Formats: sequence, C-alpha cells, structure tokens
Amino acid sequence: MLHIYLPVAHSSINIFLPIGLGLLVGMMSGLFGVGGGFLMTPLLMMVGIPPTVAAATDSNQIVGASSSGSYAHWRLGNIDFRMGLYLLCGSFVGGLLGVQLIKFLREMGNADFVIKVTYVLMLGIVGTYMFIESLMALRKGNKEEEGQEEPQGDSRLAKIVQSLPLQTRFEKSGVTQSAIVPVILGAFIGVLAAVMGVGGGFLMVPVMVYLLKMPMRVVVGTSLFLILFTCIEVTFLQAYTNHTVDFMLAVLLLAGSTIGAQTGTLLGKRLKGDQLKILLAIVVLIVTVKIVLDLTMTPDILLTTAGGE
Amino acid sequence: MKRFLKTISWMTFPLLAFMVAAPGAWAQTTVATDNDTIDIRINYNGSTVDVSGNTEDDVDLVIRIDSKYINEKMMVKAKVGGLLWMNSEKVEFQNVPNLYYLKSSADVSKILDSREQEEYGIGYEALAANAAIEPPVDPGKAKTLFSEFIRYKEEGKLYSQTVGGVEMEAGGNGQSYRTTFDWPYQAPPDDYLITVYAVRDGRVVDSAETGLVVKEVGVEKALTELAQEKGGLYGIAAIIVALAAGLGVGVIFKTGGGAH
Repeated sequence: MLHIYLPVAHSSINIFLPIGLGLLVGMMSGLFGVGGGFLMTPLLMMVGIPPTVAAATDSNQIVGASSSGSYAHWRLGNIDFRMGLYLLCGSFVGGLLGVQLIKFLREMGNADFVIKVTYVLMLGIVGTYMFIESLMALRKGNKEEEGQEEPQGDSRLAKIVQSLPLQTRFEKSGVTQSAIVPVILGAFIGVLAAVMGVGGGFLMVPVMVYLLKMPMRVVVGTSLFLILFTCIEVTFLQAYTNHTVDFMLAVLLLAGSTIGAQTGTLLGKRLKGDQLKILLAIVVLIVTVKIVLDLTMTPDILLTTAGGE
Repeated sequence: MKRFLKTISWMTFPLLAFMVAAPGAWAQTTVATDNDTIDIRINYNGSTVDVSGNTEDDVDLVIRIDSKYINEKMMVKAKVGGLLWMNSEKVEFQNVPNLYYLKSSADVSKILDSREQEEYGIGYEALAANAAIEPPVDPGKAKTLFSEFIRYKEEGKLYSQTVGGVEMEAGGNGQSYRTTFDWPYQAPPDDYLITVYAVRDGRVVDSAETGLVVKEVGVEKALTELAQEKGGLYGIAAIIVALAAGLGVGVIFKTGGGAH
C-alpha cells in the first residue's frame, strides 16, 4: 500500500513523498525559524496538489512542525515570550490592515503585479543583505560570541528609537527596547504577510535579527512560536470557509515535519548564528531566483484554475 | 394482375418483418462495462474501465465517457508590464464537461460529418462549437483559449481523444467490440456516462449508453463529508492532531535524548 488517496485534494500520492517533503521542510523550520510555506506550497503543487489545498494543508502541517520546534527551542531556553507577545499583537493588527489593503489594491486593478513585485523585491533584498552581512561576519572571524548587547546608538533613528516611551528590558534577548518598536514591526510584517499571502517567517527572522538586535538562537525559537499561532488561525479559517485542508495529506506531512523540526533544532545547536543566517540567506535567494524565473518565462499553458491565490 | 400484386404484397410483408427482426446486418448496438462502480478507498490509485458490446457490421465506432456539462471558471495568464507573466483575467468556459474521454476506431473527422459531430458532441471541435466563453471574446481569441483549455484538461488527465485501440471482431451476430480506458485517480468522484456511437457514411446510425459511478467509501467518504459539512469541527480536529503530533514527537525526542 504505497499510495494513499487524498480526499480533499482528489489526488493519489506515494506516501514516502509527503513524508520526505515534511522531513526536509520541517528541518529547515527547526533550523531557521521559518514556516517553510514558501517552499512547501510550490513543492506540493509540483506533485499535483491543487494550489488552494496545498497552501491550506501546509498551514496545518506547520502547526505540527512549529509546535514541535517551539517545544524543542523552549526546552533550550530560546523563546522570548515577551518579545513574541508584542510582535504577535502588532502582526495581528497588521494582518487585518493588510487584508483591507489587498481589497483596495484589487479595486485599483493590477494588484497582483504590485504584490508579486513586492514579494520578489522583499525576498531579494532580505536574502542579499543577510548573505553579505553574515558572509562578512564569518570572514571577520568569530570575535564576538552570540548574544550581542544593546543596539549601537550611532544613527539618528537609533536615538529616536531609544527615546521612545515604554522602554522594556527583554531578558531572553538581552536587549532593551521600547515596547512600541516590536508592535510596529509586527504590524509591518502582518501587513506584508497578508498582502503577499505568506506566513511571514522569512520576514520575521531578519526583522528580529537586524532591527530588534536579538541573538539568532532566540530569533529562531521566538519566530517558530509566533508562526505556530498564525498557522493555527489560518488552518481554522481555511477549513471553515474554504474546506481546503486535506487531513490525510497533513498527517503524512506531519509524520516527516515534526521529526524534521526536532532534527533541525538539534543541528542548529551545532551551528553558529552567522552560519545559520548565511544558510537561510542562500535558501531565500534560491527561492527568489525560482520565482523570478516562473514570472518571466513563458508558461507552458496560458490557463490556470480560478480560485487559487 | 391486381390479385397477383396483392398476393405479392402480402408475401413481402412477413419477409420484410423477418429481415428487420433477423440478426446480422440489423444487429443493435449494445454497451456494457466491467466496472460500473469504482470505489475510492484509502489506497486508490486509479483503475481501468473495460467497455464492450455488439454492433452492426460495416460501421465505425466512437466510444465516449463524459461527465455532466458545467461552467468552469479559469484565469488567463498574460504578460503584465511587458515583463512578468501573471493571472490577468477571469474567463468562464460554459457548457463543458469536467471529464471527456473519446476513443474511435477511425479518425472522427474522416468518418463523421461536422454537423453530426456537433449534434452528438463528438470530438474536441464539437466541444468547442457547443461551448461558450464568458465574457465573449473575438473568434480568434476564443479558438486560442479553447485549445489552451483542452491542453490544460489533457495535462490534468481529464480529457483525451484517441484514434484506435478499439478491438472489433466479426461474428454471426454483427460484430463485437472491446476497448479499455485507463481511469486515472485525477477523475474525481462523480456520475459518468459511457456512450457508444455506430457510424456509417458520415452519420450516426445507432447508439447505446450506460452509466459509471465513481464514489468515495469508508474513511475517504467520512473525511470528505466532515470537511464539507462541518468545516469548523474539521479545522479544530486538524489543529489538535497537528499540535498533538508536534508536541508528542517533541516529548519522544526529549525522553529519547535523555535516556540514550
């Protein structure tokens, strides 16, 4: 019994395929603190799962992978709950705003163009910046250990940020910030994630590393913890309104991804923050190139099912 | 003379009646399948459908399996800003089947008049002629869009049109035929119709049809019904299972790591 029929996707699949995919993406999730939706959804579509089912089922799978990863990171003391809570509040509000923004963009026409270009630019800029920055840091050698201290207060922006009210000490991350900063950054990620239709893990990680100056290991744990909540919400909404979660497929993906997330976390313990960053940067850049190719090369068939993204 | 003619006509009538009832040149077309119900179980990976029956001598056969004719919404990809390919407009293909398989003993365009093809919906060209695109487009674009639609369906294994592969054997009672359709897992649960047309001199001279039901059973059926009818409950169950799996594996790794 190598094949299993997926009732919602109306598709039959070799069981080792989703387990293998789950293992791979779950590992990345535990390593980098991303949901991996930007990787899993296109992979599932490649094996014949309809786009809407692929996206919805993937968010169900991420609930498993990120709870597995969050648990592992929590045991390692890598989750900054206070920072996570502020970011979550911000991204919740941002998500609501983002949904309205999409409606507005669609009414203006050409919304998809704006969305796709924003997506590619964000991925490209984030990937390139992380790549160069971590490469330089790796070259410099590891003079400083992980767990940087306070943000460097040279720039004017940093001064303004420091003068904001509600300065809070985030013990786990070892930084002192105004509570307004993570809320605003969370809102920004929420807007972008809603507009681009992605979970936002790949945006959350660089924001925490570069703007909130959190150490990489805490970033990964906290990001996974946030993704867990986002994906619980998305899974419920998709199942309730669109009926697109394929439970059978989710279970197979989970079998791989929950184990993958644990392995990823263990592997992450052996790598330095900059090594993790450069690996994530490479993955993000590969995904960017793939999306650019998909967008610029003439498609094989000029029609696609309506009801996708 | 008059009496002679009357006698002849009385003698001719039973002869004609006998000829109509006699087997052979006047055999009726029949159709049957070995697989009129396909159950989708947990390990379902497609099936095959054998179609067989009898028909008249000296005819070609067209065998079609199709589903209900519906309207399908699709997105058309176009180059935006002269640079990027993306979904640009929504179109609706009206009066098209979700699934359409056609096999014929010879090329449909050579054995059937185009009017007959259209009337009976035989072949891709007839499908195009009987379908409509909404919002309306010019004939050139409609042709391109429809051929893209066919390619999309063929890629998804929901449409096919092939010539040959129909075994026909002459017997005392007309001729018998047999063919096998691959039934891919992509064909969703639905009620399908198998129709056989006997074709002679460019026209359909006889036809027969039978049904084919594809349905989910057992776990597959229960899950589909739950997903469709109790979406909220299904969503919560999916979340709980995912959380339990994630945390369960977490605990296993913890104890595993601690013990060894």
